[in-house]
Amino acid sequence: MNEEIAFWKEIAFWILSAIAVLGALVAVRKRNLIHGVFALLVFFAGLSGLFLLLLAEFIAAVQVLVYIGAVGVLLLFAIMLTERVAGDDDRRMTSRGWSWGLVMAAAVFVVLLLPPILQLPSPEAAQEIKPSVEELGHKLMNPYVVTLEVLALLLTAALIGAVTAAQGVRMPKEEDSPE
Amino acid sequence: MSILGGGIFKGMKVTLWNFVLSYFRRDRLTTNDYSWRPDGDLPQGIGDYPKEEGEQLSDTTTVTNYSRNFPMLLHDGGEPMDTVRCVACQICERECPPQCIYIEKDYDENGKYIKRPAVFDIDVSVCMSCQICVEVCPFDAIVMNSQFELSTPDRFGGLLVRRDDLLKSNDYYHQIHPEEAAARDQKMAVEKAAKEAKKKAAAEKAKAAAEKKAAEAAMGDAE
Amino acid sequence: MSLVLIDILIATVPLMLIFASLFAFTTWLERKALARIQNRIGPNKVGIPCTRISLFGLGQPAADGIKMLFKEDIVPRGADRLFHLLAPILALIPAMLVLCFLPLEFPWTKSLLPVQAFLLDGAVIFFFAITGLNTLAVFMAGWASRNKYSLLGGMRAVAQMVSYEIPLVLSAVIVVMMVGSLNAADIVKEQTGWNWYVFSPWGLAAFVIFFIASLAETNRSPFDLPEAESEIIAGYFTEYSGFKFALFFLGEYIAMFAISGLAVTLFLGGGDGPGLAAAPWLSVVWFLAKIFALIAVMIWLRGTLPRLRVDQLMGFAWKFMLPLSILNILVAGFAWHAQQQNSKTITVITWVISLAILYGTASGLNQLNRGSVRPRKYKYAE
Repeated sequence: MNEEIAFWKEIAFWILSAIAVLGALVAVRKRNLIHGVFALLVFFAGLSGLFLLLLAEFIAAVQVLVYIGAVGVLLLFAIMLTERVAGDDDRRMTSRGWSWGLVMAAAVFVVLLLPPILQLPSPEAAQEIKPSVEELGHKLMNPYVVTLEVLALLLTAALIGAVTAAQGVRMPKEEDSPE
Repeated sequence: MSILGGGIFKGMKVTLWNFVLSYFRRDRLTTNDYSWRPDGDLPQGIGDYPKEEGEQLSDTTTVTNYSRNFPMLLHDGGEPMDTVRCVACQICERECPPQCIYIEKDYDENGKYIKRPAVFDIDVSVCMSCQICVEVCPFDAIVMNSQFELSTPDRFGGLLVRRDDLLKSNDYYHQIHPEEAAARDQKMAVEKAAKEAKKKAAAEKAKAAAEKKAAEAAMGDAE
Repeated sequence: MSLVLIDILIATVPLMLIFASLFAFTTWLERKALARIQNRIGPNKVGIPCTRISLFGLGQPAADGIKMLFKEDIVPRGADRLFHLLAPILALIPAMLVLCFLPLEFPWTKSLLPVQAFLLDGAVIFFFAITGLNTLAVFMAGWASRNKYSLLGGMRAVAQMVSYEIPLVLSAVIVVMMVGSLNAADIVKEQTGWNWYVFSPWGLAAFVIFFIASLAETNRSPFDLPEAESEIIAGYFTEYSGFKFALFFLGEYIAMFAISGLAVTLFLGGGDGPGLAAAPWLSVVWFLAKIFALIAVMIWLRGTLPRLRVDQLMGFAWKFMLPLSILNILVAGFAWHAQQQNSKTITVITWVISLAILYGTASGLNQLNRGSVRPRKYKYAE
């Protein structure tokens, strides 16, 4: 039974990773912005599935709730308010220096991502870690409470700024009294 | 102060009562009632209604006397265009929010304006039954009718109700909206009495002034 | 055959079958109930096909389904065909997916090998996360129709759903706070023995807020501005015909079931009811009965209340429900601490004080938000 679960987990991992990578590729290459954003949302959904595979349920749910439900909708609204959304053709975007872009991407991967990947604990050891929401709550309240409060302040400032920006700028009235 | 949300609960009680009683009392199903047609058929158009004075219109007897649908012009009995109250002042045409009324004044042979409408059309598909025309009419000439069987197969002119179809007598108005009609009649009677009293006072004053003038002339003559 | 796949199928297929048939029954019930409230008889002609037996119109949902299958599928010219197709699917999938998180304990799942399928530790927050995907479907539908009224309806619908998600989640936080766990089964277990959260003042306030917010989330009357027929024809699904419309319809009703199921889990005790010790399978019956009671109240409200305007809708969410739900969390927190003292007088005092605070705040917010009524002014008649 356990081998079977491990087998299905492997299959799920490959499917979800494929969905995520394909979504990301389509998102950066599509000319039509709305299609691109929806592909990005597919990428987020794939990521959420990967989190779920790692038994981090809370993070998976929050990924869907925040990234897809809030950030995605925000992006869609922003695109809605611009013009020229649907590109004239779905031709892939090509640029002149794409080979250098590939070299830079490989360099970033090797320098930034490869060391942490090599230092990860082995899969057998990883099975022992059980993420729990209660642990997350405790950590947020005790060691990281300052971070939490600073984030809350930042979000409040953003909210107030958004409301102020949405109210519009009032032009000062011309004084036409004979003074 | 009433309970928060009390209105909602009252409404829910009414609908629940409606729901339960609709199983037990068949006469509550008012919108299914076509009992006024002898053969039970549906009416075919707006002109298909009993138009004789005093004939009961069943689709108005099954609704309450507060219901209203689209306006009608009042006349005080007899030949409709002789006693029509509307003088074609066009106030209701201007105040109507969706602008569904179209009025043309009536002129006699010499081109002088006589106080009747020649054309008075209401597009019932546009009318939203807001009653603003009733509120602003200074002559109490337009009030709300409660006929609701208005469907017609004619898409283009079928829902444009002309002046002759809009004219209904004051007795019909008393039939469908008794309290409102009585209040309106009373208001008109009071206004008429006030006008009469004012005319009488003005006539008396004119008579007194004329007598005084005659007396002065006589005195002047006598001197 | 793979045991895991069989387990998954056994856990999910009965849910889909039960709720799909409940959907058919609910559409029939809604039409008949609304008709009786509005002084008319609902559909009563369609019964068993090819016979004259009309079982009070119970065949009507089947007839409607067949009609929608056979309708021509019209896609407007210039519309985004891919999204036009995907939107109803995206509206249906979250609703059906979220049904799996409800703690319905079917008797046959106990005898199988344990599979960590759906009784997740974070079931409640998954519920909210996936219900939030509905907004995307609505948006996609409005955008893909290439119709400015659909787009307008879609934007209004998204604004409404997003604003009412906050009181929804905040009122669920109260129950999660009291229980200390996001697991749906734990929440139900805490409420056994008629210990439901709806019987406490903060729980009752939270339930009312949750119910009203769930009406707004599923675009139900009186919050059905995005799909009202007299407003913008049908709002964001104007351009949908035939089976796609049927999928939207199905998605809306299943979302109603799912949110009612969550309300039952959080506030009304899940499968709690009399007779559980003797027959444990009764818990499913009680769960479904409670869901049906909530659906009946939703239908009743649809027949009673007029529609809210969009500014009244948004004002209600941000200026009334949000402050009230935040205050409710505070009150529930204090009450939880008071109840830890295990003293009867303190409990009674807490109940009275919290009732007073909650009712007072609600009335106060109501008075604050009351607009003024001015007499009408005429332009030409004076």
